[in-house]
Amino acid sequence: MIYALFMRRIWSWKNRLVPSLLLLLTLPVILFVLVGLSLNNIMRNSLSGMPFELWVIPGFIFIISSMGLFPLIYRDFFDLRVHRKVLAHVVLAPYRKRIMICGYLIVSGIEAIILGVISIGIFSAISSFPLSVIQTLFMIVCLSLYLLLLGNFLISMGLLINTVTTFSMISFITFIFILFGNGFIIEFGFFPAGIASFLKWQPISIPFQVFQLFINTNIIDWQMLVYPLVLVLFWVIANTKILKWKLRH
Amino acid sequence: MEASITLKKVGKLVGDKTILAGLSFGVERGSLVAIVGVNDSGKTTLLKLLSGFENPNYGQVFIHGLDMDKRRQETRKLIGYVPHENDLDPWLTLEQNIRFTSNLYKVSKSTASARILRYADALNLTQNLNELAMNVSHGTQKKTMLVRELVHDPDVLIMDEPTGYMDAESIRLTWDLLKELKGNKTIVYVSNALVEIEQAHDRILVFHEGQILMDGHLDKLLESTLDYHQFQIEFENLSKELYKKLANVATVVSPNRLDNIFHFYGRTRNVFFDVIRTASDELMIDLNVKKLGLRDLLDSEFAGRGLD
Repeated sequence: MIYALFMRRIWSWKNRLVPSLLLLLTLPVILFVLVGLSLNNIMRNSLSGMPFELWVIPGFIFIISSMGLFPLIYRDFFDLRVHRKVLAHVVLAPYRKRIMICGYLIVSGIEAIILGVISIGIFSAISSFPLSVIQTLFMIVCLSLYLLLLGNFLISMGLLINTVTTFSMISFITFIFILFGNGFIIEFGFFPAGIASFLKWQPISIPFQVFQLFINTNIIDWQMLVYPLVLVLFWVIANTKILKWKLRH
Repeated sequence: MEASITLKKVGKLVGDKTILAGLSFGVERGSLVAIVGVNDSGKTTLLKLLSGFENPNYGQVFIHGLDMDKRRQETRKLIGYVPHENDLDPWLTLEQNIRFTSNLYKVSKSTASARILRYADALNLTQNLNELAMNVSHGTQKKTMLVRELVHDPDVLIMDEPTGYMDAESIRLTWDLLKELKGNKTIVYVSNALVEIEQAHDRILVFHEGQILMDGHLDKLLESTLDYHQFQIEFENLSKELYKKLANVATVVSPNRLDNIFHFYGRTRNVFFDVIRTASDELMIDLNVKKLGLRDLLDSEFAGRGLD
């Protein structure tokens, strides 16, 4: 299953190589120039005293990977379900639905991580990359967990919504939430206490918080990592049920 | 002969509406079975149940003796389903679409290549294989969907309008291939192309309101109509009075008109002479007599006119 989905992604890239590469190179540069350079003049350090670059560059990588994940899941679980019925053809293959959901999650997650890794290279080329090798590796671990959570959320959204207008509106809300509700650019300390507390405990923001704790203190909070991991497992089961229900299996 | 597909009291509801009602029948291995009927009679729903795309609300479907509900993974390997609508990935080429399926079903690369070559050649599709699915015609997409299912070599092929959107040559090539596959594979299809069904000349299931109305070979289905003929007489002017007079000829069955054409059925050719005699004073432009086919049978059946 994973091999088939992976080959399909390679073919998709091959068929649209130039526009895909252009987008891939443009997004990190635009993000760095329009958000990074301007905010750097407003906030030199975070509320906890962390240099802005050390805060925001990993945040950018999380955002770029999110933007890479979004069209993949949108395409497979919304567009190719509602408009082209490709998903219906795939689910007739002899696999359990749970394996299918995991397959899509893993393949799109790997692609989004590759986009994140490429953007690390781009950031290193246009400015100084602020993380050590260990910190970068741990960031990729946290990014993987974050993408599994976000991927599950996007799959639920892609399966439950049937109209483009609703999907567009919810996508925009999700996009705003990804940018500002996960601590990637704006620290939770800048929000009112009640909202900050909610944002800290919303599961999708936890991997980035665990990563920030690690680069600040060199401590890995395993308990905080287990909570979203357990949620991923339950969410996969929930998405399996939704897939069966939507396709009337 | 051994059963390939068996349905036992299968029912399907959508909301409160019964789409299939306690359906039981079997399909022999290697046979070619057509399902015909009016729109919304439950044909496509039946195909979706057979393909495993949907589950019945009650009853059981067996493929090669395996319960589709309990042995889901095994039965899915045995089935290839070609739906009516295009379900190819538009951003992949036709070959990539086919290879995606071969990878899903774990067909080796060399076997897949050999099968693609064989079936694409049979359907005159080879020159299109490197084109994106969104850039080719619907007919080519349909042929690709057929090759895509054949690439994993299913024992049972389920098809909704197998020649939909195709041009005359593609229709001929598709039927040549399907007839070649018949015997090795069980083929069940839904079609509204009644002439093609008549030419394929195998078992036909006539569907009506979720139930099988008639089941058998074309000759058997037409048995009750064998004596009947269909007549058409075009008049220069078919007035209301003349139509009434002709429709009242005792031996005329199911009369109707289209402009100046008087259309009717009759048990013997003598009916024709009865009508000619009645209309002897009128100017006739054209005459047409033919034996009844599947279209006439279905039309009379579902129009509620009835021949007898």
